[in-house]
Amino acid sequence: MTEILNGLERFFSTNIFGTLSLYDVISTGLKYVFVFIIYYFIFHIIRLIYLDIRAIDRDETPSEVYLRLITRPETLNFKVNEIYYLNPQNSIGRGDENSIVLKDRFISKLHAKIAEQRGAYVLEDLKSANGTFVNDRRILQPTRLNNRDVVRLGDVELLFVNEVHDHDD
Amino acid sequence: MTTKQVTERSLRRSVFLFQALALFLVIIYDAERMTLNRLYFALLLVGVTYIANLLVRKLLKGEPYLFIIATFLLSIGTIMIFRLDSTSGFKQIIWILAGFVMYFLSYLAMRFIPKLDKLTFLYFGLAVLLFVATLAVGREINGARNWIIVGPISIQPTEISKILLVLFIASYYSRYHQFEDLRVKNFPAGNYLLLGCVYFLMGLAVLQKDLGTVLIFAAIFLAMQYIYEPKRKMILFNFLLMAGGGTVATLLFSHIRVRLSTWINPWEYIDTIGYQITQSLFAIASGGFLGTGIGLGMPQTIPLAESDFIFAAICEEMGILTGMGIIMLFLLLCYRSYKIAFRQTDFFSRAVAIGLATMFAAQSMIIFGGVLKLIPLTGITIPFVSYGGSSMLASFIALGILQCLSEERERA
Repeated sequence: MTEILNGLERFFSTNIFGTLSLYDVISTGLKYVFVFIIYYFIFHIIRLIYLDIRAIDRDETPSEVYLRLITRPETLNFKVNEIYYLNPQNSIGRGDENSIVLKDRFISKLHAKIAEQRGAYVLEDLKSANGTFVNDRRILQPTRLNNRDVVRLGDVELLFVNEVHDHDD
Repeated sequence: MTTKQVTERSLRRSVFLFQALALFLVIIYDAERMTLNRLYFALLLVGVTYIANLLVRKLLKGEPYLFIIATFLLSIGTIMIFRLDSTSGFKQIIWILAGFVMYFLSYLAMRFIPKLDKLTFLYFGLAVLLFVATLAVGREINGARNWIIVGPISIQPTEISKILLVLFIASYYSRYHQFEDLRVKNFPAGNYLLLGCVYFLMGLAVLQKDLGTVLIFAAIFLAMQYIYEPKRKMILFNFLLMAGGGTVATLLFSHIRVRLSTWINPWEYIDTIGYQITQSLFAIASGGFLGTGIGLGMPQTIPLAESDFIFAAICEEMGILTGMGIIMLFLLLCYRSYKIAFRQTDFFSRAVAIGLATMFAAQSMIIFGGVLKLIPLTGITIPFVSYGGSSMLASFIALGILQCLSEERERA
């Protein structure tokens, strides 16, 4: 092995043009490559951060339909937001893949979903273990949510707010 | 596959490519002194880095950028150290591998040890203990008595005490109301408790002539106090105290005056005390935009080229463009760390994240500024880049804590 390394040393230090060794040529060439890789890396990091920020912008554009937390956040032992804005399709549950993540022990992995249907928002329980409640009644089939309905899952109580259709009701 | 996944994969690949090409170059540069062992370790570094990046991405949720930025920074550093001295480079690789382990350990500790915010005086006690141990059995290397030598390993305990300081201040403010009304014979001791403790630690660092650590402590303390102190007058008081203390220290200690005069005009003392900084400036200037190429410059003429002045060595052989790249990477690292702090809902977590982000920011700013002669030079390491085991481990511990905080999950 040592011979191989010594051979390498001899090979790369042979002068090819005058006093210029093969090593000099490789090293000079690679310095351009290194600078290129560094900036390529930085460019991609910035691009990823940009993609993230754009995604956040899209997710958190304050729509007029949202769930507001009623339960005091201090009483819960997991992270919660004050307000969850609703998209046309939302899933609620303990799993990270849900659009609304609530890490409550009494909430199932995929607990319920809220979907928009012709301007109305419909809450559906997805066979969760401890059930979903609207205004303290357990829902057994998809239920249309009205403005200021109270939705309860596990220990978390949320107020459904839909300002757009306020005047309809 | 989404654009995001593709981009993440190309990030991993560019770290891999950079490491592979650069290690190939430094191995053929110094092939005579290369042993089989070192060759294996170089290959191990490339492999482990790639796998670690993949693991961090697949296993840990939360912040995806911190770890990969750190691995890129340490690749640039390791290459330069390897080129300057392959023995140090070999040691640095061992430290990096240990750093990866510490990263996962500190992640797990932060995640599974409950009530970390209640251990206020344990953190303080540990920090004091580290300082006292260093003063008792420490050795003086390069003008600062902050080394403990255990067998073949020399460690710098002050690196760890920076993290302890952050944890201490964060847990102090998260339990502020408990200390607020503390009184000793009508003297409102509660107001001055934190100030006293931090100044005590800084005093111990001054005893070790470790100016860099004092500066970083001051920066972390000022930043966290500015954000969290409810009694705003204390900030002004602290600021005046620091200004006064700095002036007194300058008058008392000759080595601080040396730093000042070599900052104002190093050319006057080019053969003596100004040697370090002028060599650093020569090196940066001779590199130009793209550098001389690895192995083709003369960075060995810079004193302490592997640790404090590695930035100058990198600029000489890899160009000021790489130097600017490193600064940008630090900018991104600090930006992501502060971003993590903003997302925290828990008081203690937020304060810790802010403290650690400030630690990275202050540390990199002080040494970049110093080497470029923008501020008086104090010898400290660049996190992840410079040669040094303690610094590498401490930086990875800080990174592990930040990674853990960046995840959304149930609080322990």
